[in-house]
Amino acid sequence: MLSKSAARSFFLVGTLVCVAFFIGLTVDTLGRVPAQTRAQNLTDSVKLGKKLWEKNNCMGCHTLLGEGAYYAPELTRVYERRGPQFMRALLKDPQAMYPGERKMVKYNFTDAEIDQLIAFFQWIGEMDLNGFPPKPHLVQLAVTATSTGGGVAQASDRPFVFNQMCVACHTMGGQGGLVGPTLDGVGKRLTADYIAAWLRDPAAVKPGTRMPRLPLTDKDITELTAFLSQQK
Amino acid sequence: MRFQSQKVAYYFFATCMLLLSLQIVYGFIMAFAHMGYDVLHNVIPFNTARTTHTNLLVVWLLTGFMGAAYYIIPEESGRELYSVPLAYLQLGALVIVGVVAIIGFHFNYWEGRKFLEIPRPLDYLVVVDVLLFLLNIGMTIWQGKRHSTTSLVLFFGLLMAALLYLPGMIDTDNQTLDSYWRWWVVHLWVEGVWELIMGAILSFLLIKLTGIDREIIEKWLYVIVGFTFLSGVLGTGHHYYYIGTPKYWLLVGGVFSALEPVAFLGMAIYAITMARKGGRTHPNQNALSWTVGCSVMSFVGAGFLGFAHTLPQVNLYTHGTLITAMHGHMAFWGAYAMLVLGIIAYAMPLLTGRKLHDTTTATFAFWTSNIGMIAMTLAFAVAGISQVVLERRVGLDFLTVQKELQVHFFGLTLAATLFTVGIAAYIVNFIRYGLPVGEVTPEQPGSDS
Repeated sequence: MLSKSAARSFFLVGTLVCVAFFIGLTVDTLGRVPAQTRAQNLTDSVKLGKKLWEKNNCMGCHTLLGEGAYYAPELTRVYERRGPQFMRALLKDPQAMYPGERKMVKYNFTDAEIDQLIAFFQWIGEMDLNGFPPKPHLVQLAVTATSTGGGVAQASDRPFVFNQMCVACHTMGGQGGLVGPTLDGVGKRLTADYIAAWLRDPAAVKPGTRMPRLPLTDKDITELTAFLSQQK
Repeated sequence: MRFQSQKVAYYFFATCMLLLSLQIVYGFIMAFAHMGYDVLHNVIPFNTARTTHTNLLVVWLLTGFMGAAYYIIPEESGRELYSVPLAYLQLGALVIVGVVAIIGFHFNYWEGRKFLEIPRPLDYLVVVDVLLFLLNIGMTIWQGKRHSTTSLVLFFGLLMAALLYLPGMIDTDNQTLDSYWRWWVVHLWVEGVWELIMGAILSFLLIKLTGIDREIIEKWLYVIVGFTFLSGVLGTGHHYYYIGTPKYWLLVGGVFSALEPVAFLGMAIYAITMARKGGRTHPNQNALSWTVGCSVMSFVGAGFLGFAHTLPQVNLYTHGTLITAMHGHMAFWGAYAMLVLGIIAYAMPLLTGRKLHDTTTATFAFWTSNIGMIAMTLAFAVAGISQVVLERRVGLDFLTVQKELQVHFFGLTLAATLFTVGIAAYIVNFIRYGLPVGEVTPEQPGSDS
């Protein structure tokens, strides 16, 4: 039968061996992380962005690298998924961008701070994360799904800006958010001129609308108008 | 109770009751926000509620561990506590740090690193406070009549917990390394040295409650904590799968964390076997329920549910979803909350001299809180699985999925209400015990109860 001193030796030897291995692996990991996380791109702006991320406890609602709370979207690939223009508008006034939805605190960031946060997310988005976040694969889109790293299924035959911004709130072909009405068949309901004016400033067309004025360039508006008015 | 100074433990336990109540309030705030009723958004936004909820948990468990140590160590060492005023000072300081931190969380004053949100200046105070505690406990053991394995394992666990708080303060600009060191604290606490504390407190309770020979119980204590470290230390790897660390962690973390349930299973078998073998029936059966319940629920919550999403192939989809909340709730409840409630249930009749351990309220509290927690875990499980399928597999938008999950949070709220009723009963019983005015009974030769 096992004696108490044998049990103690098992505990001490086992623990020491495991701790030694763990410290060895940690030393190796510390050497490899800079390359795997593209640490050469850690600019001052990114570093300040990380400070803002911590100062405001963004992890208290969002996840980043899959870590944090589960109340707000995973942000690891947000730069790729939504793009800097959308992020800038959202960080300026979060509740305007998702009217009537789950609320984010309005932090009154300065333009410089917003740039730093966006730089931070861009850097996070370029890391090699061993395959995370996974690509959704149960869905069979009628059109080919692009391989976005954003983790949300999207179609590839659409304007880039549509896939970054419009789908945040609207669906098309069953994909997208449920904040605003679906854009299926929008070309049947609205004329190209109306769509262009609407995209330029929704509140000017329909005062009191909850749709925010999006940070779109003239080129974006031309492209989106052409695309949306074809949806019949 | 053998020594006057053990009464210090009462005030630590009373603090636990207060913090636990507050923790539950913040839990409800979050459940309502998840259901779409974030009515307190302007005063207590979700990140404040979340941070307060988890930090209160950590603080009340640590307070409970300290109270347990102040109760156990004098008895195990055969002498009064080294310094009673120091113990009160240290409790007062801990409460002040806790209150300042929690108020700070409501004014955007925090560090924003999951579980370690306490702002840096307060971190140093925590370290000083824990050092005072360790000094008090350490001196008591050092000058004690005997050095039992139970007290040494408990002291070693508490000492390592204090030391492992330090890696969390390493400053780095790289988010990956930030997470890397953060898990040194969080993982090596809850799946490492806290289990030493747990093993030691369980051993103490089993020695007292079952009357089984100390040598046998302490031998198996070594075996179990041995398995804990064999699996738990390299099991840290399950936090290093997808955060920008090398791929070999998928193998290391996967293999060793698959062994983690073994340690918990060992703990459960150990507690159940000892309880059944115990020659005599201790009057405090309620404390025995919490003791055995702790080992069983920690196996289910930490061992089994942890294993359910620890393999890298599964974790790729469940990482960063409500599945973690499912596992987290039952793991902390089973392993640590029930442990602290168990030592309180054991110590209270002795501290106060009032035998309220076999009241209906005490039994009701045990069963209702446990059934409530099982139901909460199931609600989180359904919500988590739905989230994984809809968001990670089908690729639906985050907010769209969250709306689908609201109904499960209604279920969670119902379950949490049941749980709260159980905890309320526990606290009512605690209050009925009154202040620690129990009499000191000197140790009889050959007796270990």
